[in-house]
Amino acid sequence: MSDYILQAENLSVSYGDFIAVENASFKVARGSITTLIGANGAGKSTMLKALLGENKPRAGKVIFENEDITGMKPNVIVRKGLTMSPEGSCVFDEMTVRENLLMGCYQKRAAAKKEELFERVYSMFPILKEKDKQLSSYLSGGQRQMLAIARAIMADPKMIICDEISLGLAPVVIGEIYEKIAEINASGVTFLIVDQDVGRSLEHSDYSYVVVKGGIVMEGKSADLPVEEVKDAYFGINKYA
Amino acid sequence: MEALVQSIFSGILLGGLYAVVGVGLSIVFGIMGLTNIAHGNMMIMCSFLIMVFGTMCGGNIIVMLLLAVVCVVVFGFLFQNFLVNKVIDKGANPALLVTFGISIVIQNVLTLIFGADSRSLQNAFSTKNIVSTEWLSISGGYLLDFIVAVIVILALSFFIKNTRIGRAIRASSNDVRAAELMGVNTKMMYTVTMCIAMVTACIAGLLVGQTFVFYPYSGPQYLIIAFGVVVIGGMGSIPGTLLGGIILGLAQLLGSHFFGPGYQVFCGYIVMLILLTVCPAGLLGNAKRK
Amino acid sequence: MNTNLREQTNKSKLTKIISFIVIIAVLAIFPHVGSDYGRNILILIFLYMAIGHMWNLLAGYTGLVSLGMQAFIGISGYVLALVVQVNGLPIALAFVVAAVIAILFALLISLPIFKMKGVYFTIGTWIIAEALYVFFVNWKFVNFGIGYNITAAYRMNMNAFYYMCMIIGIIATLIVVVILRSKMGLALMAMRDNEDAAEMRGVRLYRTKLFCFLVASVMTAITGVALYLNLATIRPGPAFSIDWTVAMCFIVIIGGIGTIEGPIIGAIIYVLLTQFLYSFPGYSNLILGIIAVALILAAPKGIMGYLEDRFGFDIFGIRRRL
Repeated sequence: MSDYILQAENLSVSYGDFIAVENASFKVARGSITTLIGANGAGKSTMLKALLGENKPRAGKVIFENEDITGMKPNVIVRKGLTMSPEGSCVFDEMTVRENLLMGCYQKRAAAKKEELFERVYSMFPILKEKDKQLSSYLSGGQRQMLAIARAIMADPKMIICDEISLGLAPVVIGEIYEKIAEINASGVTFLIVDQDVGRSLEHSDYSYVVVKGGIVMEGKSADLPVEEVKDAYFGINKYA
Repeated sequence: MEALVQSIFSGILLGGLYAVVGVGLSIVFGIMGLTNIAHGNMMIMCSFLIMVFGTMCGGNIIVMLLLAVVCVVVFGFLFQNFLVNKVIDKGANPALLVTFGISIVIQNVLTLIFGADSRSLQNAFSTKNIVSTEWLSISGGYLLDFIVAVIVILALSFFIKNTRIGRAIRASSNDVRAAELMGVNTKMMYTVTMCIAMVTACIAGLLVGQTFVFYPYSGPQYLIIAFGVVVIGGMGSIPGTLLGGIILGLAQLLGSHFFGPGYQVFCGYIVMLILLTVCPAGLLGNAKRK
Repeated sequence: MNTNLREQTNKSKLTKIISFIVIIAVLAIFPHVGSDYGRNILILIFLYMAIGHMWNLLAGYTGLVSLGMQAFIGISGYVLALVVQVNGLPIALAFVVAAVIAILFALLISLPIFKMKGVYFTIGTWIIAEALYVFFVNWKFVNFGIGYNITAAYRMNMNAFYYMCMIIGIIATLIVVVILRSKMGLALMAMRDNEDAAEMRGVRLYRTKLFCFLVASVMTAITGVALYLNLATIRPGPAFSIDWTVAMCFIVIIGGIGTIEGPIIGAIIYVLLTQFLYSFPGYSNLILGIIAVALILAAPKGIMGYLEDRFGFDIFGIRRRL
């Protein structure tokens, strides 16, 4: 078995004439927390969508657990143990909290372990148990994000991708969410995270990739990457512009 | 006075029939945002199917309904999977025109096969008066309409609310992307929804057939009733269809009582228009639906 | 370079103008050289093109998908019958009365239906047309469900009628071109693409929509008079039948919704197809339905949409390019 749970090789994605991602390669080590750092419009979300089959890469491959999953549909990929908490959390706001979680374990593999997963999620997020029967549209922003992550865990995944995890949330809440992520990570789930905040991304992850204009310009262990240089790249200063 | 009481009761019972006619249209719209112009013709097609199976298997109502249901579920699957699903991502108009085209096809095939004569599924039970007092008489047919309507509405509500597939269907209508990311095949959910709508159309076809006469070209007439029911109750609301059906049934029979039988249908339309103007999203509608 | 480009556009403009003139000239002399059958086909194409344009103005540019335009055709058919057949007045008067009644009726129904949005508007308009049908069946003034034969139509000079229909077709096309080239055209497209944003930018939604609705109603009514001169008999069922709108819808969507050329191409296809299918009685509508479904699966944006995507077609120069 490879040490890398997920590999993207030379991905290129375009929307019509617009090239969103060009020749991007990155790997996610098994059991790690890996981040993609980049400004708005750098192509991070497009990359994530390509991983889950939500858009069709023009070229390149996506390999998950030694299997080529390029071009498969999202609902098929999810059954293989790769799941995603989308940007803006995308909880089903016409459904209750419990129904949202039930949707998380919709696919058969997770549905078999439903009770066990519920117990795990409720002990990890007591607030969700409290609000169990409420419509999720009544939750606060932080609670919605937690619900989205909890829903991802309900799929009993090997790896979770979190897009824009801290968008619009208060610092205290963000800290809490990262704590939960560390806790889930400790139980063996790999994470690929996108966060707007450079400092926070580096602090909470093992390995980082910096994305500029649809390509990877810098990578390294998060502890080793020079923060200032990453920020320069992020803001498009000097050589990376 | 007796006549008024009779009109009110018949109106409510007729409303049950209208609710079953409308409920299939409502869930298809609620779940996939598709206005299925072919719904009325599909229902009349079911009436003819039941009639054919009825003569084939000697009037055993359960067997003929089951056979018809199997047929129309297969039809719904083919219709949704190979026609509507192909164009549903390309905006509202192509999908609408596909249902339009299929509607024309069904109506003409029925006319070719069965001719333009009126048909009926009436039997001894549907014409017999179950309740018969000096105030009120209710035929078995009307009573059956209402009871079946309540059962269909309750069963559908339960299915959508409490089962795994029902949840997945709701999730698909709530947020397609998130549903796909949960492992739901949303296109398949659309197909399931269409098949359920076809089953309700089949039940409606049976009820309409045992209550009134029908022709191959009766479809549009029931489509507009279905529309009325659904817009009064609120597009996509299942309990709303029962409310909408009862309001429409009452409007028609009270209109007929006060202005004469010629104005029965007209009064129904006027009430529909007034309600549409006063509450444009329907009585139990979800205002932010597509 | 720049002058070169300008010369080129001037040249293509010139070719366009010349070809328009040639087409109109050919159509103008057709009744004197062509067959009666061909003339009658062209009459139908002009009229269906006109109502197609009007439905396209509503559905394709204004976002008002109406299934009730048959109301205006039915009303003007009855106006024709009452003016010409019952009271023996000239046909020209029928056109004027139909236009006036269409404006008044459109204003009246705009009060409720403009409160409805999206699919509710679509259904609301259809219900109005159906209500009219039921009302006419029960209305003594219009001879209940029996209707009228419009015998004056038999005595008409068909060549004069041909020119009238041609003018109606051309006027309908010009109306759409003029509206779309005006400032209102820009507003319309902004509104269709994003209603909220357009409103914020000060586009007066209600007035713009109402204006288009009135224009479409009047033109549909005027065309309706001509259609019933051609049919020469009227009953409430066919007059207020959804089939009229089915035809408009077919013409516009097959031709290409939201394009000027679409209704013209759609009308030609529709009329020729229905004529051809007359030789298969009983099967004609069936085949029409199958063709509609097949075409929409093959080219969801219609024929013009398909050509535009492939070759960048744009005959009337409506679209603004950056």
